[in-house]
Amino acid sequence: MEGTLTISQRLAALQRRRATVLVALGLLLLLVVVVAVALGAVNVPLLTSARIILKRLPLLGRLLDATWSPTEETIILSVRLPRVMLALLVGMGLAVAGAIFQGLFRNPMADPSIIGSSQGAALGATIAFFFGINVGWGGLSAVPLFAFAGSMGAVILVYVIARSGGRVSISSLLLVGIALSSFLASIVSLLMVVSEDRMHNIFFWLMGGLGTGNWDMVLAVLPFVVSGSAVSIFCGKDLNLLLLGEDRAAQLGLEVERFKWLMIGVASLVVGAAVSVSGIIGFVGLMTPHIVRLLTGPDHRYLIPGSILGGGLFLVLADTLARTVIAPNELPVGIVTAFFGAPFFIYLLKRRKRAII
Amino acid sequence: MKEWKVLEARGVHAAYDGEDVVAGLGLVVRPGDFIGILGPNGSGKTSFLKALSRALRPREGVVLLGGEDIYSLPARQVARELAMVPQESQLAFGFTALEVVLMGRNPHLGRLQGAGPRDLEAARLAMERANVWHLADRPVTELSGGERQRVIIAQALAQETGLLLLDEPTQHLDINHQLSLLDLLSGMCGQGLAVIMVMHDVNLASQYCRQLIIMRRGREFARGTPTEVLTAPNLREVFGVGAIVTRHAVTEKPHVIFLPPSGEAAGAPGPRVHLVCGGASGASLMRELLEAGCYVSAGVLNLGDGDAEVGSALGLRMVTESPFSRVSPQAHAANLEVIRVSDAVVVSDLHVGPGNLVNLEAALQALRWGKRVYLLSLRSIEERDHTGGEATAIYRRLLEEGAVEMRDREALLSVVKAAAVAPGAGSGPRPAGSRE
Repeated sequence: MEGTLTISQRLAALQRRRATVLVALGLLLLLVVVVAVALGAVNVPLLTSARIILKRLPLLGRLLDATWSPTEETIILSVRLPRVMLALLVGMGLAVAGAIFQGLFRNPMADPSIIGSSQGAALGATIAFFFGINVGWGGLSAVPLFAFAGSMGAVILVYVIARSGGRVSISSLLLVGIALSSFLASIVSLLMVVSEDRMHNIFFWLMGGLGTGNWDMVLAVLPFVVSGSAVSIFCGKDLNLLLLGEDRAAQLGLEVERFKWLMIGVASLVVGAAVSVSGIIGFVGLMTPHIVRLLTGPDHRYLIPGSILGGGLFLVLADTLARTVIAPNELPVGIVTAFFGAPFFIYLLKRRKRAII
Repeated sequence: MKEWKVLEARGVHAAYDGEDVVAGLGLVVRPGDFIGILGPNGSGKTSFLKALSRALRPREGVVLLGGEDIYSLPARQVARELAMVPQESQLAFGFTALEVVLMGRNPHLGRLQGAGPRDLEAARLAMERANVWHLADRPVTELSGGERQRVIIAQALAQETGLLLLDEPTQHLDINHQLSLLDLLSGMCGQGLAVIMVMHDVNLASQYCRQLIIMRRGREFARGTPTEVLTAPNLREVFGVGAIVTRHAVTEKPHVIFLPPSGEAAGAPGPRVHLVCGGASGASLMRELLEAGCYVSAGVLNLGDGDAEVGSALGLRMVTESPFSRVSPQAHAANLEVIRVSDAVVVSDLHVGPGNLVNLEAALQALRWGKRVYLLSLRSIEERDHTGGEATAIYRRLLEEGAVEMRDREALLSVVKAAAVAPGAGSGPRPAGSRE
């Protein structure tokens, strides 16, 4: 029988290993962002692009001399950096929402769209395209605004329908979410069929992409992703408790109904914000938490930050590939995420040879 | 040592949808109590436990913890006073057993506070007590059902509460772990822990619980010490099963032996067999005859006699006499009345004394009424005769007048059964002399 010391040492070692994974993911993410900004149709050297970005930082910027052309600066700062940043934020948001929903629903198939947010956003965007609505707010066009409204509307509707007697059961949330999603998808299809000339726009929006990314979008999504991520990092321990079942979690001190409400709210806001600027990008929210779980284990105190970093990393990589492999043309990023992500995930799964959930 | 709080429920009604599953139950749990809740499936035991543990808000009535409504207290505060081990636990995802047990420390930790040495020590102690410390590093998904159950028990123990509620915690455990868990809890009760446990095993409940509550259809059916509550009539009424309650040879607590169900005992269409027995000579015959589809009656038996208890548990029609008394003429007459409407009489290999000698005479009367009479004789009548020869004399007469003596039980049963299906084995008295 082992003593307390060795067991606690082993526990500490386990936690150190998980923390190391997080640090490694963070460093890798930083590297990938810099490389992603440098890569593209116009070749800007890696160091140059790094310096262009660093120049923009307060204090540090004064130490750097501008040895690059204004064109290079424009490409980096106005075209590539916002797009990479958008990919980063959308990837983070989708992955953290995926991790939250998988924990909340105790279901490995849960993804960010599970309670209607994606189809709600799709309907919102489709309506904006269909009626050619041309309003704007804070630099955002009608499509993302309508998509966000649609996403929130769908989630609220699902929540209200699933609620009974002051409680929201997870399974009815799941079923209502699936039913409402199908219903909304049918309306989207109907609008596409009758829209003829605008069908193309709708179709491409639904495929998902970051090509229209600009700083306004980045600034619109940033507060959602940052605050949502922060809240969920604080809730790691509570999500762990919920894995024991709602009754048990309550008996261990969790205010379950309030917590579910908080988590659904946070995840839905983050997903709504992400979907509204990027369309429907599949796979990131579903698979990132699984892949991270293989590295960090099931503990949400590590899984949540790991998913945030991993989701950002994954989507930045995928979007960089999407815009470079057949440059100057682009692939829809959703194709890339699934094409590379799925086989990688299956590889990890087979290598691990153990149930992941 | 911490200060234990009293848990009190008053007039609790609880419902899921509409109909009450708990209807007006009250309870006071003081430090050191060991309370068992028994009852058939669907009697509201689990729901009552949920209501007590802040998981099912009562429709009516209150649950008080240290004098305050448990449903108005924060979950964290309740979790420091009261721990619950549910019937089934979800343990998805690959946490190690130690990590799962450490989750039990949650109510004692701040939001971002990790488990410290104090928490690890509490987890280790809990895991040693629940006998799962050797599994500390194993992922819970790889553990067996019983091991997982013990991990959850350790998790609840790690909460270090004064109250522990358990919902059939022993159902996945083998007998060794059942007993060591109950011993552990019993020992902790001695130090002030209060335990409320839903149980299925009546005998374990009898051994360990100081107070028992039997529930039926959401209500309290009986409450008291095991001796007060675990009686054959109570068990028959609540569970619908016959039982014999004896004393446990070692602990002197009530020990319950359940009898196989005999739904056809009353009004069965089979032959009517009257049993003359006593002591414990007829108990197994009663059951075997019932299983063979016979309508069984017995008499005259002294109340308190082993056969009388079994007969009453099985719901037989019986003619009885006061304990340790000679069979009175009235009882003998009543016995003859029963024999009159029987098809056959079976005499077990009973001991015959002056008190029950008339029962043999009743068998002789049966023969003269044309009934078949079977004598089970595993030992000779001389060995069982405590009347100085009178019993032996009547026994000889029985044989002379056509009673059939059988040397083993199985043969007896097959003969009785065969005779029952043979033609002419109708009920009611037949004229004398018509016997084969």
